[in-house]
Amino acid sequence: MEAKAATPVMMRGEGLGSAPGENPTFAGRIELPYTLTTGRAASVFLAELANHKLVGSRCEKCGDVAVPAQDFCAACGETTAADFEVAPTGALTGFTATPAGVLAMIRLDGADCDLVHKVLDAELADLEVGTRVAARWAASPAGSMLDVEGFEVSDAAAAGEWPQPFEATADVEPVLEQSYDLRLDYDHAFGPYYGTLFDGIATSRRIQGVRCPRCTCVLVPPREYCDACFVRTEEWVDVADTGTIKAFSVIHMEFVGQVREPPYVYAEIVLDGSATRLIHSIGGIDVEEAKERLHTGMKVRAVWKDAEPTGSLEDIDYFEPVFD
Amino acid sequence: MRDVAIVGTGQTVHARRRKDVSQAGLVREAVDGALADAEMTLDDIDSIVVASGPALFGAVNQPEKWLVDGLGGHMKPVVRITSGGGTGLAGALAAMNQVSSGFADKVLVVAYDKLSEGALQYQISTLYDPFWGREFAVGIMGFASAYWKARIETLGHTEEAAALVSVKNHKNAFRNPYSHVRKEVTVEDVLNSRPLAWPIKLLDVPPISDGACAVILAGDDVVPQVSAKPAWIRGMSYYGEADNAANRFMLQSVPLQLAAQRVYKKAGITNPRRQFDVAELQEPYTNFELSYYEGLGLCRTGEAAALIESGATEMEGDIPCNPSGGCMGANPIGATALIRLAEAALQVTDKAGERQVPGARTALVQAGGGWANLRGVAVVGADKN
Repeated sequence: MEAKAATPVMMRGEGLGSAPGENPTFAGRIELPYTLTTGRAASVFLAELANHKLVGSRCEKCGDVAVPAQDFCAACGETTAADFEVAPTGALTGFTATPAGVLAMIRLDGADCDLVHKVLDAELADLEVGTRVAARWAASPAGSMLDVEGFEVSDAAAAGEWPQPFEATADVEPVLEQSYDLRLDYDHAFGPYYGTLFDGIATSRRIQGVRCPRCTCVLVPPREYCDACFVRTEEWVDVADTGTIKAFSVIHMEFVGQVREPPYVYAEIVLDGSATRLIHSIGGIDVEEAKERLHTGMKVRAVWKDAEPTGSLEDIDYFEPVFD
Repeated sequence: MRDVAIVGTGQTVHARRRKDVSQAGLVREAVDGALADAEMTLDDIDSIVVASGPALFGAVNQPEKWLVDGLGGHMKPVVRITSGGGTGLAGALAAMNQVSSGFADKVLVVAYDKLSEGALQYQISTLYDPFWGREFAVGIMGFASAYWKARIETLGHTEEAAALVSVKNHKNAFRNPYSHVRKEVTVEDVLNSRPLAWPIKLLDVPPISDGACAVILAGDDVVPQVSAKPAWIRGMSYYGEADNAANRFMLQSVPLQLAAQRVYKKAGITNPRRQFDVAELQEPYTNFELSYYEGLGLCRTGEAAALIESGATEMEGDIPCNPSGGCMGANPIGATALIRLAEAALQVTDKAGERQVPGARTALVQAGGGWANLRGVAVVGADKN
């Protein structure tokens, strides 16, 4: 997991009330690896692209032919299989220009639904609904939808009768799995509450919360409303960088996206002057020793990093236990 | 408001990885099971509730859109409900309300997750506030183990007591044909297993699974036409609390107690230990089962370790907990709460096979999600309230 703070040059809470888009944002990134399972019908469709076949499925109940082949009929829910082949030619039913080129809905000859794909070497002006196209096959098939590189404008009429019963090519293994990397970049708005908190941390190692006028508790991180009383918080309050351990555990496991290298002590800490939980780590103690010597209710204090502040919880290196 | 009964249940073959089916195919397998059990077809279903965990689990956003095709949802009401580990029960609650209100007569609720496709702990860590704590998150394991440690110190929920939960649930899972983890373990095995987030160790943790469960609910006026052996939902509720509110009590889940209180009142439960014949509890880690014993009133606060040590929650005890094996046999997170409900329905209709608690007529179901801040309870019975 990578979470990069925005440049601390500009203050996060500064200029509030101006256009929201002008305030700095927090850049959060989530990068997740997947190995997806394609399912019975799609696995055959993907495999047969290498043989220049477009495999669909025909619903026995309603007779519709879907392509790519589906496990279930969209119209009636009936179980279907990769059992019919449609033509590599068809006609456009709709299209649009995108920065990545022209994308179109294509009704392949023999199919009863549209396939979304690229139209290659074409300008919008060349196209109209009904324009005939033909598949251009990729030179090196990889078991993906892009084994059809795209469709090109072609006057070719459908050769033969479509759809045709499909017979699997000998020795073709279905493509049961596909790797997929999901990368999501976010620009989170700090807003006035987080903005003020992280400005204070960046400039003066100052941790600020807000007080609820009804229950009088101090909430960190600060927020507009008290969660429990649901009244607007009004008063800003400085809290200490010392506190007590509410709970802790020792992390040994490794996992994809982990920021800290195990083993380390995970801790939920209540900062002095506040009534909420701060998630951080406890350091300055051997982890095996921590299992014996740490306990809930024990005092801890923040150890700040010497590095240039980033205006985030990472500016605190860890909390160290204060032994009596 | 109509009374609502469970008239069909189905589960998939759960596995660490189901390479043979897509997410849609997995879901359909459970649905076909429930339809067969209820002797219905998709045409009989008026409305569909899809329940699954965070969308990042499956890399398909708004997955109910995809599942409309596989569920015969074309031109029917279809909604998706999500609530972490409690997803399946939250989905069942939505379905129950559709039936009790008269919106629909027969509702299919289908819950699933295909956890083998991605990086689970990372995905769960993204549930944390991006500004506040995500960089330290270890799924919910860091959190769960920390408050278990606090309960060890204050309530005596020892590692040995939690190990007994693991031993019991592994043993019960062995008798459940839907389990994919089938191994008996000893207390020593659990205590000596590799620490993941101490005090949580490998054998305190359920498997990561691909799986789905489907349940069909029907209104009381329809039930006689469709089921000879309904399992009546005598009460169901789901409560939440703010994750980081001031002075949040962490040793017991207050929403769990609120949900239990409300459901017990509706079902006339005043002595849960005596009145329930069986309980299905959704335990993401062994220590949670101990905590639920107390939160659900099966024993007093601080007596959970004594309860498991007494054998009362074993198959042969007076309040068997998780005869299915709970999450230890299989844990497809989005489905796991609905599996608990389905298992309870099997128990009170005498259809639980080798894991049947003899003569069970009243069952307790618990499930929850989030950082212990979303909690649901249900009572299922052979009889109506």
